[in-house]
Amino acid sequence: MNHGKMQTQATVGLYAAASALRLSLFILFPALPDLLTGRVEISTPVTSFKRFQEGLFLYNHNVSPYDGGVYHQAPLLLPLFSLLPDPAAYPIFTYLLYIVVDLLSAYALYQIAESGEAASSKLFTSPRKDKRWSGYVVAASFLFSPFTIATCLARPTSVFTTCAILHAIAKAIAGYPLTSMLALSFGAYLSMYPTLLLPPLVLLAYDRQRVDNTTPSLLQFASRCVATVSLCVSLLFSVSYLVTGSWEFIPSTYGIQLTLTDLTPNVGLWWYFFIEMFDSFRSFFLGVFWLHLSSYVGGLSIRIRSQPLVVLTLLLGIFAIFKPYPSISDASLFLAVLPLFRHVFPLMRYSFLTASTILYSTCLGPAFYHLWIYAGSGNANFFYAITLVWSLGLSLLVSDLTFAVLRDEWEVERPEMVGKEIRQI
Amino acid sequence: MLLLTIQSFFSSLIPIFLFLFCHVRGVSASDYFEQLNLKPLPHLSLLASFDFRSNTTFSQFEAQSYRYFPRSLGQILQHVGTKELHLRFSLGRWDAESWGARPWDGTREGGTGVELWAWLEADTDEEADHKWLTLTNALSGLFCASLNFIDQTRTIRPAMSFRPEGDHPNSTLENTHLLHGVLPHEVVCTENLTPFLKLLPCKGKSGISSLLDGHKLFDASWQSMAIDIRPVCPPSGGECVLEIEQTIDMVLDIERSKRPRGNPIPRPPPGHDLKCNTSKPYHSGDTCFPADLLDSQDWTLDQVFGKTMKGTCPLTDPNVPPVCIQAPERRDVYTTGGVTEYKDPSGLSRCYQIPPDSEFSLVLPRMPREGENAKTDADEMVVPETPLLYAERSFTGHGQERGGVQSILTNPSPDTEVEFIYMESLPWFMRIYLHTLKTRIEGISGNNEDVIEEIYYRPALDRARGTQLELRMRIPPASTVFLTYDFEKTILRYTEYPPDANRGFDVAASVITILPSSDPNAPPARQKTSNLRTTSLLLSLPTPDFSMPYNVIIFTSTAIALAFGGLYNILVRRFVAADEGPEVDVTGIKGKIIHGVMGLLKKIKGAKGKLE
Repeated sequence: MNHGKMQTQATVGLYAAASALRLSLFILFPALPDLLTGRVEISTPVTSFKRFQEGLFLYNHNVSPYDGGVYHQAPLLLPLFSLLPDPAAYPIFTYLLYIVVDLLSAYALYQIAESGEAASSKLFTSPRKDKRWSGYVVAASFLFSPFTIATCLARPTSVFTTCAILHAIAKAIAGYPLTSMLALSFGAYLSMYPTLLLPPLVLLAYDRQRVDNTTPSLLQFASRCVATVSLCVSLLFSVSYLVTGSWEFIPSTYGIQLTLTDLTPNVGLWWYFFIEMFDSFRSFFLGVFWLHLSSYVGGLSIRIRSQPLVVLTLLLGIFAIFKPYPSISDASLFLAVLPLFRHVFPLMRYSFLTASTILYSTCLGPAFYHLWIYAGSGNANFFYAITLVWSLGLSLLVSDLTFAVLRDEWEVERPEMVGKEIRQI
Repeated sequence: MLLLTIQSFFSSLIPIFLFLFCHVRGVSASDYFEQLNLKPLPHLSLLASFDFRSNTTFSQFEAQSYRYFPRSLGQILQHVGTKELHLRFSLGRWDAESWGARPWDGTREGGTGVELWAWLEADTDEEADHKWLTLTNALSGLFCASLNFIDQTRTIRPAMSFRPEGDHPNSTLENTHLLHGVLPHEVVCTENLTPFLKLLPCKGKSGISSLLDGHKLFDASWQSMAIDIRPVCPPSGGECVLEIEQTIDMVLDIERSKRPRGNPIPRPPPGHDLKCNTSKPYHSGDTCFPADLLDSQDWTLDQVFGKTMKGTCPLTDPNVPPVCIQAPERRDVYTTGGVTEYKDPSGLSRCYQIPPDSEFSLVLPRMPREGENAKTDADEMVVPETPLLYAERSFTGHGQERGGVQSILTNPSPDTEVEFIYMESLPWFMRIYLHTLKTRIEGISGNNEDVIEEIYYRPALDRARGTQLELRMRIPPASTVFLTYDFEKTILRYTEYPPDANRGFDVAASVITILPSSDPNAPPARQKTSNLRTTSLLLSLPTPDFSMPYNVIIFTSTAIALAFGGLYNILVRRFVAADEGPEVDVTGIKGKIIHGVMGLLKKIKGAKGKLE
């Protein structure tokens, strides 16, 4: 009991420290938030806070923000933010909102970590399950990660999606499938790609549901979940329709992710590829890229059926690399759930290589972007090359984690192979 | 024909001074007239304004019976149901600081490049768009200009800025659509002048149009060719006519124009020919402050235009003097023989009636600036009027990611405020942030009242339409307003860049329409609408590497293949210990291949055996 009380105190202290750090950065460096908002690594066309302000301005002046090429974010954010005082005049309210959202995400992460689902799920218990980090450490690594802090300062709307996804996972683990699906619907409504997380999330919720005598079959359960999500999303769409007065927001918010009409540079692989793409092949490759992105869902969900949380983590990593408009905010979400798998870290083969690649591209990315855009001494290939390195580093991390998890599973069958050299055939 | 003769007979009875300086718009008795107005400007410049006006009655126009109205243009107008049309070809910058107010109050000029706006009769927006497309394509062919590039992204429908100039019945105005398109990148050149002259009844063969020459016109410091077509109804009643007015305004640099045609390359004059301002304290044998600009103007008409004027156009209204010059009475002006001079009662201008079939030239000799009969600038030229508003616009910021636009608008009047509409038509790849639109006011009044009264904004849509921004503003007397906003530079697909991608993209001039004053006691210059345009801007966008589409496709595909292949490789394979499972090494593969080949050979042999 005493231990739990101490734990709570420590967590409250952690949240207080994280908010104090963010607040002091906001207040001591007033130019920093706008500087970070302008960075292409953090703000993408579908999440940028500056574009959001423009959309809000147009919305408050009765011009449809979707009848233009600047605003591509979900409609319900507009009335939410128009309740707040003007972000340009009283930025403090916006800052507080973003800090609160970050803390909520950290809280969800804390719950996920404390549940121990990462190391022992319903169908599988890792032999290394005792070697794990507490929720306190996991939440701290999220709250004090430079990527998360930079994201919070730059205020992209992707933090709301992050929060929704983490809560969806936390609620699924806690055994509230309906709440979980509700949270996922919010995520899907805000940025579309969380829809792809639905199959593993349904599996996770199914595995973790309360056991009583009327346990439904997986098929029944899944269809109930899908129905919940569709109902929720259609409800959100209807409310958006009422708010904006037309269906224009659908092509503007989701269509742009499918057609990639805005080619603003970001850390992903799509923008330069589609700048250089020949016009006649554009639609073909858009199809291929989307097919590629969604192809992982099935494969991972089937192969790692026993650990749905692993599938969710891997998918978050894959989205951070291959989504149409990724940013370091997506990478920060992946890196936040990664410490849940502390028990398989010793099985990873390329930890040093991955860490140094990510560090290398984090440092050189802004420098190369500066050389291209401001100094004029480099060209677009500089920044493109660094996004390639970043993507390769992250994809190495994803496949390395997959390897570690699978080997951990395999070692349950072959306990004698622990620490031995193996190969795959 | 008889009717016409009678008409011109009657008109000749009307006293001649009524026709002098008839800038006042109205239906002249004759169906065609032309006039050249010369106005010496400070700094050795000369403004030449050519005005050609012809008209046709609507009944004749409907019957396709053209006399002075150009048939080629008339048929286009009829085909697309154009009620009023304005076309501009412009080059250069009007230096308002030294040249003062613009000719025609700025209503006969366009932004750099080509500008077109028209009122089209159409029931729906789609029909108007379709007609507009037809119109731009037809005009493109007629004027040898790239007007067909005025597509949806360069077309806007101004809400506040433009008003019809002609007399339209209210019933027609209801279903007409105003469309405005601009091509700032278009280089106006001789090939546009030739079709322009062909529309004139005298086609540049005689009259004032014989002075027009591409070499001089497009070498001018500023020039604007305009075509305006509008219906005009006589105030006294009677049949309405369709009027076409063609104007050419040019500011010639006199020294540059006087350069002989055979030796057009400018060379620095030898040291002993330099005119120096000896009053400067540092003047000595090897330092010189050029005194050219302070010098008196000295030119003849054939020198500055490179040709003499070949008589008058026989079709023109004989009562309108074809050439006028705005110069004070004290200025000496000589002409060729047989010319009648009419002096304006104000003493600030004079006109010349020229006998047909005789060559005409005008001589303005150098006026002594020193000595007994010393003359000053005031003796030599009419002091330019102060414009109602000064406007300049520029980019701020650096880098190829984002930038800002700053417009500086100054009201020079010490006591009168000015109300105007500021319109921008921006390309879609310049994403402006309206929430960053700010105004700052500086001036004696100093109070920070809101200068923007009304905003009309239509945001750009990628690859579909450009931004349209119209602001109604009011600037208090003797103040300057700084209007700023931010924008983001879009990176385009590599096929969307022009061949000279790093030159940048032209951004059209902003159009300022000064609204007429509501005060009935205001001076005449404020009683009417006047226009003003800023210069166009050059926007540089970030560029991709144009040389490596294949490389990018290959690299990105490789990265994706590595990730996908690596992950699926791990997913689908079985784990075994390093020493378990089948041998996979070079000898194993060699053995397999040999085994396979042997098997194949056996099969073939077996098949042969069967055949035998």
